[in-house]
Amino acid sequence: MSHFLDRLKYFKKQREPFADGHGEKTDDDRSWEDGYRRRWQFDKIVRSTHGVNCTGSCSWKIYVKDGLVTWETQQTDYPRTRPDLPNHEPRGCPRGASYSWYMYSANRLKYPKIRKRLVKLWRQAKLEHADPVDAWASIVEDPEKAKSYKACRGMGGFVRADWSEVNELIASANIYTAKRYGPDRISGFSPIPAMSMVSYAAGARYLSLIGGNCLSFYDWYCDLPPASPQIWGEQTDVPESADWYNSNYLIVWGSNVPQTRTPDAHFLSEVRYKGTKTCVITSDYSECSKFGDTWLAPRQGTDAALAMAFGHVILKEFHVEKPSAYFTEYVRTYTDMPMLVTLEKKGVRLIQGRFLRASDLVDNLGQGNNPAWKTVALNKDGRLVSPNGSIGYRWGEKGKWNIEQRDGADGSDVTLQLSLKDCADTIATVAFPYFGGTAHEYDYFQNTGHDDVIERLVPVKKIRGADGETILVASVYDLTLANYGVEQGLQDPNCAHGYDEDKPYTPAWQERVTGVPRGEVIRVAREFATTADKTRGRSMVIVGAALNHWYHMDMSYRGLINMLMMCGCIGQSGGGWAHYVGQEKLRPQTGWTPLAFALDWQRPPRHMNGTSFFYNHSNQWRYEKLEMAEVVSPLADKDKWSGSIIDFNSRAERMGWLPSAPQLGVNPLQLTREAAAAGMDPKDYAVQQLQSGELKFANQDPDNPQNFPRNLFIWRSNLLGSSGKGHEYMLRHLLGTRHGLMGKDLGEAGGKKPEDITWHDEPREGKVDLLVTLDFRMSTTCLYSDIVLPTATWYEKDDMNTSDMHPFIHPLTKAVDPAWEARSDWEIFKGIAKTFSDLCEGHLGVEKDLVTLPIHHDTPGEIAQPFAVKAWWKGECDLVPGVTAPSMILVERDYPNTYNRFTSVGPLLEKIGNGGKGISWNTEAEVDFLKKLNRTYREESERDGRAKIETAVDAAEMILSLAPETNGQVAVKAWQALGEITGRDHTHLAKPKEEEKIRFNDIVAQPRKIISSPTWSGLEDEHVSYNAGYTNVHEYIPWRTITGRQQFYQDHEWMRDFGENMCVYKPPINLKTVAPVLNKKPNGNREIILNWITPHQKWGIHSTYSDNLLMLTLSRGGPIVWMSETDARQAGIEDNDWIEIFNVNGAIAARAVVSQRVPDGMAMMYHAQERIVNTPGAETTGTRGGIHNSVTRAVMKPTHMIGGYAQQSYGFNYYGTVGCNRDEFVIVRKMNKVDWLDGEDVKAAAAAEEAVQ
Amino acid sequence: MKSLRLISRLLDYPDETLAAHLPEVIHFIGQSDALSPRLRDRLLRFIEYYERRELLDWQSEYEGLFERGRAVSLHIFEHVYGESRDRGQAMVDLMKRYRSAGLALAERELPDYLPAYLEFCATQEEAVREWLQEIAHILALLATRLRARESVYAELVDALLDLSEVEVDRDGLARQVAGEARDDTPEVLDKIWEEEAVSFSAAQGSACEQGITRPSAAQLKDDKAITWVDAGNHAPDTSVMLGSKQ
Repeated sequence: MSHFLDRLKYFKKQREPFADGHGEKTDDDRSWEDGYRRRWQFDKIVRSTHGVNCTGSCSWKIYVKDGLVTWETQQTDYPRTRPDLPNHEPRGCPRGASYSWYMYSANRLKYPKIRKRLVKLWRQAKLEHADPVDAWASIVEDPEKAKSYKACRGMGGFVRADWSEVNELIASANIYTAKRYGPDRISGFSPIPAMSMVSYAAGARYLSLIGGNCLSFYDWYCDLPPASPQIWGEQTDVPESADWYNSNYLIVWGSNVPQTRTPDAHFLSEVRYKGTKTCVITSDYSECSKFGDTWLAPRQGTDAALAMAFGHVILKEFHVEKPSAYFTEYVRTYTDMPMLVTLEKKGVRLIQGRFLRASDLVDNLGQGNNPAWKTVALNKDGRLVSPNGSIGYRWGEKGKWNIEQRDGADGSDVTLQLSLKDCADTIATVAFPYFGGTAHEYDYFQNTGHDDVIERLVPVKKIRGADGETILVASVYDLTLANYGVEQGLQDPNCAHGYDEDKPYTPAWQERVTGVPRGEVIRVAREFATTADKTRGRSMVIVGAALNHWYHMDMSYRGLINMLMMCGCIGQSGGGWAHYVGQEKLRPQTGWTPLAFALDWQRPPRHMNGTSFFYNHSNQWRYEKLEMAEVVSPLADKDKWSGSIIDFNSRAERMGWLPSAPQLGVNPLQLTREAAAAGMDPKDYAVQQLQSGELKFANQDPDNPQNFPRNLFIWRSNLLGSSGKGHEYMLRHLLGTRHGLMGKDLGEAGGKKPEDITWHDEPREGKVDLLVTLDFRMSTTCLYSDIVLPTATWYEKDDMNTSDMHPFIHPLTKAVDPAWEARSDWEIFKGIAKTFSDLCEGHLGVEKDLVTLPIHHDTPGEIAQPFAVKAWWKGECDLVPGVTAPSMILVERDYPNTYNRFTSVGPLLEKIGNGGKGISWNTEAEVDFLKKLNRTYREESERDGRAKIETAVDAAEMILSLAPETNGQVAVKAWQALGEITGRDHTHLAKPKEEEKIRFNDIVAQPRKIISSPTWSGLEDEHVSYNAGYTNVHEYIPWRTITGRQQFYQDHEWMRDFGENMCVYKPPINLKTVAPVLNKKPNGNREIILNWITPHQKWGIHSTYSDNLLMLTLSRGGPIVWMSETDARQAGIEDNDWIEIFNVNGAIAARAVVSQRVPDGMAMMYHAQERIVNTPGAETTGTRGGIHNSVTRAVMKPTHMIGGYAQQSYGFNYYGTVGCNRDEFVIVRKMNKVDWLDGEDVKAAAAAEEAVQ
Repeated sequence: MKSLRLISRLLDYPDETLAAHLPEVIHFIGQSDALSPRLRDRLLRFIEYYERRELLDWQSEYEGLFERGRAVSLHIFEHVYGESRDRGQAMVDLMKRYRSAGLALAERELPDYLPAYLEFCATQEEAVREWLQEIAHILALLATRLRARESVYAELVDALLDLSEVEVDRDGLARQVAGEARDDTPEVLDKIWEEEAVSFSAAQGSACEQGITRPSAAQLKDDKAITWVDAGNHAPDTSVMLGSKQ
């Protein structure tokens, strides 16, 4: 508007100058300034972060005005780093910056919701039954009624409910299930506790108190690299991103750092300015490729071949021809290379056996304690010695579990021999399996013509065994050289004499497999090793999902870790492996486990490995076509491997290797009652019943209704939308709703059925009676749930967050109250626990529950099965719980007191103490402190006098007080406890911070750096960045493996059967999912076959964000699949065409992105694009196109089931089967007709309803 | 303005209280002199429709209509600001206007929730019409979209438009929404999603050739037909697929 009428014509303002006329007082209208002033006004700023499944853990400012979140910006107040290290901030990415827009979005879940069909049944049943538990029974035990609501899953039809109603229904279902079928028929899935550890703990605490199973996620996501426990006895301990800056040579291998590690990527670009050379290895032209001074593009899935060739060059040039003094001392001290391995006669061949043990030798080599678990090496004086540090020294004695170079018998100094070449009794011909000769079904992966067994020369010592027999032994060092085909002067015709020879594993050999020019391989290997030699190990490999999601991921990982070990990079600043996929380190872990798993009240909790659980209960095994004979070593006894994958999983459970859920074939509450009636100890009773065959493990008959996983909670996760490998199998068998499964099961197809599992011809559908999901938005999983509970978002709750990418601990803080009816996870589970306790009466009282527990890593039991694999059910050994079978432990559950226990700190911490990873300490002082800090209850109940955990902040304080990482006093105690076992003093690592105690308010004020603790192998120090293995190398703390060293060699019988005692190249496997549907339902367009790759995306993180309009706009806005120009041309597909992707597992409808980025033969779909967004119907199945996991299925590997064997023992998210999915092939073709199936959901739901009525 | 308060109640989630009070509501509509015949008809049409249905069905219809997706969201600013940053400030401003009228939000709702806004309007005596007119364009859009979805809720929103006395070009809007509806069709989605094609001319790429290894010729399969088959010949087995190029 013009100021025509505002301006004065006849007057002028009276001037009132000041400051010598430089200033002037006016009374002009200044309201125009409000425009910008108010825009950025706020009432308060609150510190929070994003508890999504992301390693970022970035600190954010949340602005609040009038009780509403208005925007967020990045915090920039991280404690500064030491000189010459770039600062961490600003941390953040577009996903985080868009979050406040999401909170009030129309897509936000606002009220508890329940499936209409179910609530109708429920309200009706409640009228007929006074007791809600009986009401629930009347619904689920009526097949008609049960089917009527299960069949509607995924099809809408929700109504609002109030909290009291949903709590009552959930509690009733849990009570009924525990009472009728057993508490282990209730399970919960929630991933990555580090990202909001109190929210995770809420559900886990409730489940643990009532005896339900917590399902692991890291293995199920296939982010868990089994190579890590195999080599180190530790899972995913990695350097913080700042340590990239200390590196002098960086290989970035199959990890798209700028895209998936956005807030950390700056360290990668910054270190290049310091002169560090970088090599990027990715099959596609990824965003990271431009960071590389070199970009190598091996064919996807063949990375192990490349790693083997790198290793070949390093061994030849830096260990044999011109040995690096640093490397030689490193491998002698810190790896198993000097350890001796027995060689066994098999037919005409000599094959590699297990590590030589003290117990194999005369007089146990002077070892009284655990001689079967003490490995042996040859000293330079020719004496056989059992050096300190092997696992036998860890348990049953003190002071010698360290890796000082000493003889364990007399403490004398030793220099262990690496090669036996100079003192060999003979040069033997030893057989090595070779897998690269097998042709792949689609001819996509190249094979070479070499034999499946290659014999190579190895220097051998003959030694006298305990019974006077002669044992042939070789060192791991010599075997490693032979395995890599490196000639060490033995004139071996099967070893390479030059890089251009086509023998495994030369650079020339790998060229055929990977397509990478040999010259590049030689150059990169030299650069990598030369740098490590000059800098004492400052060469690093950043590695990611692109390698880990393959069936034989162990080979790629071991291949590159071997390179790092050969070059002395592990445990050195700026060196080592940097695997950042999914784990998100929960730094105050030992403070958190008592809260999360209710260890303060009762032990042990029920843990279950997710992959086996879902593979089993979604009946993927009924369709299994991979024969174990196809994947075992040519040197293995094939008859032993005739069973199906599920058989081996079942055997692993029965031998105490893997956990089970449900555990036994009966209700464990009932089992203890029967034992009492029989006047027997429950454990003895169970053993007797198992031996007589009266009692079976649930896994032997998973399709028996007694063994269904009846109740399932999902929180902080979009299980069905993002991580459900075998999505369509889950829809059919777990949920009993519409699915797009096209394959036939083994019964229908006449295939070979499992040996140990009861087969029911009638497939079971809808095994889950109640699926409850907590989320803040209507996700794909919510759509399939019976009850959806609205949770608080990350700006509406108090919680904590840590990451492996940086050493800080962050809060999530409640900036505003949860909107609408939302509640925090802590409050939700607390509410369920309350109702559960109230409704117990008449159904559950104080009950005795028999819990089966697999043999756990880092416990004295881990040295259970030193030699052969023995099955008690075949009479090969006795059934001894904890040794040849799972432990069986009686746990008393006080069901009516569930709520009281949930909300207070239990007595076991004072009684038994706290600890983790094999050490424990007294924690009375901390519990006492908590009583003062959180205050205690004063009431007539079980929690009288106990410290309160009413609120999420109380819970956070419990974690912070108990954990060594956040309580300096505990850290000192923990190091002391470790020192007793190692015989060395480590307390100097924490002493300077003994009085430091981090409270919740401290981290609200500023991100705090945690304190060094023996839970982790790196230091949080003022002088070095966190790097894994640092304390092993610098404090001589053993790795938690058989040898106590990092292991090139894996000697378990099953590892040897799979030919994985040494690292080898194994091509991708054949899953046979294409041929049965290829050209069976033609639409006239050409069908091509492509390899199916599902990387993480830029515009979403796992489940969250991808349906945000801004993110959709930045990408293409719906499901897209990338393919190469060549493949597109062959299939007549143009960019943006609708295409269909399918195989026997299911179908996907998406748009094609035709790009030069993608190599030929690959189809790429980003992880977790939502089914709820812009997804049309698929022509093949006639149902709505699925998600990226609709064409996948989990396939398990028996080597991941190994247990009771030192580092290969079970641990939650530590070891176990993994849900790999990249060996999958799919058929791709252009769609003719895009049918959006509008209104289909509504119609189908109506039809389903009619059918019921 | 009791009628506004009534529409506010009817637009809210149909809970048991509402269902229980339907007879009373019908009675009020029959009795009230304040309602124009046209308004009365609209309200009765709406109530009659749901009166005959089970409450659970009404509720799940409501849930499916208003709580899934954005197009007919009952939060006014969803249609103005969507997920933009300005939404927070707009809500703050609106709350301030409520406050200056002496009212504070009592329920856990956002200030731009239409039933809340209507309730507020109902207290504004003579100013009611102006308040309604402020959001008339959103109401018109909502009404048209609800009509397009054949939802009887359109009656309520139309009733609000009547009350606001704003002249709305219904036909024009209907045409616009009809055009909008094409959002769902593949053709229009194509347009929205289409990205500029990027072409790398061969002549460009010499600068970075030295240090960078591109996929080697062995990895390119342009001349081999092994990864595809021609579905036109309906070859049922994989031997064709594995064979050489036809």
